[in-house]
Amino acid sequence: MYHAVKGQVLIIRIPVVGSPSMNAEVHLHKKPPSEAEHDLNQFRKGRDLTFFDLVSIDQVTQKDLALLYDVARRFRDYKTYKFSFNKGYSQVNAFFEPSTRTSSSFDLAAKQLSMDTAGVAGNSSISKGESYLDTVETIDAYNVRVIVIRSKESGVPAMAAKHTQASIVNAGDGWHEHPTQALLDGLTMLDHFGTPDLKGKTVVVVGDIMHSRVFGSLVRLLRKFKAEIRIAAPLTMIPKDVEKFGATWYGNIEEALKGADVVYALRVQSERGANGFIPSLREYSKMFGISRKRLDLANENAILMHPGPVIRDIDVHSALAAADEQSHILRQVENGMAVRKALLWLLADRLDGKVKKYTRK
Amino acid sequence: MSSLLIKNGRVIDPRNHRDGAMDIFVQDGKVAAVGKKLKQAADQVIDARGLLVTPGLIDMQVHFREPGREDKETLETGSYAALAGGVTSVVTMPNTNPVADNQTVIEFILKRAKELDLIHIFPTGSITKAQDGAMLSEINELKNSGAIAITDDGVDVQNEGVLKRAMEYARTVGIMLMSHCETDELTEEGTMHEGWVSTQLGLPGIPAASEDLAVYKNILLAEETGARVHLLHNSTIGAIREIRAAKRRGAKNITAEVSVQHFALTDEECLGYNTNAKMYPPLRSQEHIDAVIKGIKDDTIDAFTTDHAPHIEPDKLKPFVDAAFGFVGLETSFATMYTYLVKPKHIELPKGIAKMTVGPAKILGLDKGHLSVGADADISIFDLKKEWTVDAKKFFSKGKNSPFIGKKLTGKVVYTIVDGKIKFENGKIVR
Repeated sequence: MYHAVKGQVLIIRIPVVGSPSMNAEVHLHKKPPSEAEHDLNQFRKGRDLTFFDLVSIDQVTQKDLALLYDVARRFRDYKTYKFSFNKGYSQVNAFFEPSTRTSSSFDLAAKQLSMDTAGVAGNSSISKGESYLDTVETIDAYNVRVIVIRSKESGVPAMAAKHTQASIVNAGDGWHEHPTQALLDGLTMLDHFGTPDLKGKTVVVVGDIMHSRVFGSLVRLLRKFKAEIRIAAPLTMIPKDVEKFGATWYGNIEEALKGADVVYALRVQSERGANGFIPSLREYSKMFGISRKRLDLANENAILMHPGPVIRDIDVHSALAAADEQSHILRQVENGMAVRKALLWLLADRLDGKVKKYTRK
Repeated sequence: MSSLLIKNGRVIDPRNHRDGAMDIFVQDGKVAAVGKKLKQAADQVIDARGLLVTPGLIDMQVHFREPGREDKETLETGSYAALAGGVTSVVTMPNTNPVADNQTVIEFILKRAKELDLIHIFPTGSITKAQDGAMLSEINELKNSGAIAITDDGVDVQNEGVLKRAMEYARTVGIMLMSHCETDELTEEGTMHEGWVSTQLGLPGIPAASEDLAVYKNILLAEETGARVHLLHNSTIGAIREIRAAKRRGAKNITAEVSVQHFALTDEECLGYNTNAKMYPPLRSQEHIDAVIKGIKDDTIDAFTTDHAPHIEPDKLKPFVDAAFGFVGLETSFATMYTYLVKPKHIELPKGIAKMTVGPAKILGLDKGHLSVGADADISIFDLKKEWTVDAKKFFSKGKNSPFIGKKLTGKVVYTIVDGKIKFENGKIVR
């Protein structure tokens, strides 16, 4: 839908709503850097983000969303084109908790902006007794521009952000938030519907809501886009007072799916069974797994999304996972690259000259 | 032979129903006279015009960390913090290292307190050895060595069979048992009050039911065994409801306290992952605070405490789930009571003072917390007009963590007098 490959030349059709260039086909990869960057700047229009660190979707304003998406859509057109926007800047991807897709996506995004990157995998310094703060301040002393943090505990990126000159990007903290995931999901939804928001659209999120950082960011973003939000899961996986996010709980997946425009399945981890949240994955899958039959209860134009990794035949039936026309799972991944590139460019390369405030601890 | 005359202050002495402008004459560590325009000649005179004069405050739940964690607090620095808060008597919790499960630790604390000669320190012993919840400590020996009560505070005796036997044994020995009410299976990995704020922060919650169930269990067993049981730091709608019901049934052997933060602050203090607001019981939501205040008004609650729990800064500079529970409260407790209960007119000032003086004294069976002639001259003098902003750098405690940091409180200690001697004066310890 977005592109087709003809030999070595990328032919790109741009389905973007309201973007400055509506040319049907553009040969982007051959553009000299100066032209490509000029092109991106046309989309940026001199704008800056309102925040220096991205810890929570709560920080993101409508103006920020418009800017991020305008730029991300254009980056998406350029696929893996190497820009020199962030040349001379460095980024550390501090993944204190193992990650495959998010860490490689952030790393590639940075490299395609000409940033030098270094990765921290696991938590060897933490396990040696060093505090997160000391580790993060050490990394910050390399004078890096961006530190991407993934942690198993909620709140580590928020804590780090107060004490670094570098911009902190939350790549998932505990059960709290995973803002870039929500941003890419939002882009995927908006582009599918071709609308500026999700007013009148119903999004059903099914799965382990309580332990999901993806849900934490997604629900905040869906609210900003005025979507109707439904959540479906056993009550053991629903956090207290979640309705204050504007979400309505369904114990019956079929009812939740009726009239849905987006079906968003979350991963259910096998260890939840051992902890008594569900009797078994088998029973969960029978009650809440997304099958062809169930997906057909949703609206005709509905899409299926999943943040990955998909546990096939548990969260989502295998046949639906990637191949099905309604499945937008790989499109989410592609949008993830574009959104992260947009974010990293806008955070690292500010035009307004404003500097982040922080204190050492 | 020394004497002290405190002139022209507003004396509030709840046990003696005094509230008015009076002088207090102190001689040889005892209250020698109370009345208008006393003429006695004294070695020292304090002009308390415009100030409030009360019995020295009693805080029956503090952690002074010595022996074992002198980096967090010592009996000396804890005593300084108490004096700075107008507190003249404290009850220390037994979760030291080693645990106060034997007479050696109790005797050490009493000996050290005597050497320091700052405030009155009443140590508690643990209910079970090493607070393991399984084997009873040698409770009779603890009592004989000077333990004022037994408690496994910090943890709770989870096994109901052990708890019942502990109560039976405590009754045999004639010592009060104090319960930190928490049900481990409901708390699990919980780290703050379970509710809208924990959901927003993605933090594992501690359901109110964890406290409710433990309070109910303790009440049932107290009624069953007839033991003298005191319920520490109550904070939930359910806890207050069950205590009220027990008292209405006529249970005279059950008393209960509230820690001042639990009527002052909500769980919203945790927003931004503020580990200074991490404690057990957790700061709760507004409806729980409302229930606690109702319980104070109708005297379901007998006393106020702080649960003063100092930590070193690295223990708080951690992800919220890993940070230590607790904060330092001794230096802010009176002002917290005045600012959050009296100023908004939830209660009258004498009642608030009663819950910090005669209330805990009665629970503990101490002849303290009042200014009768002949009583120990433990006296605190406050400036009720003084507004101040809580600044961790000014704490006397080694602990520098408090959810009140940066908040504006009203009411400040001017003098703290222990056994007739001025120990704290205008922001300075007097040695």
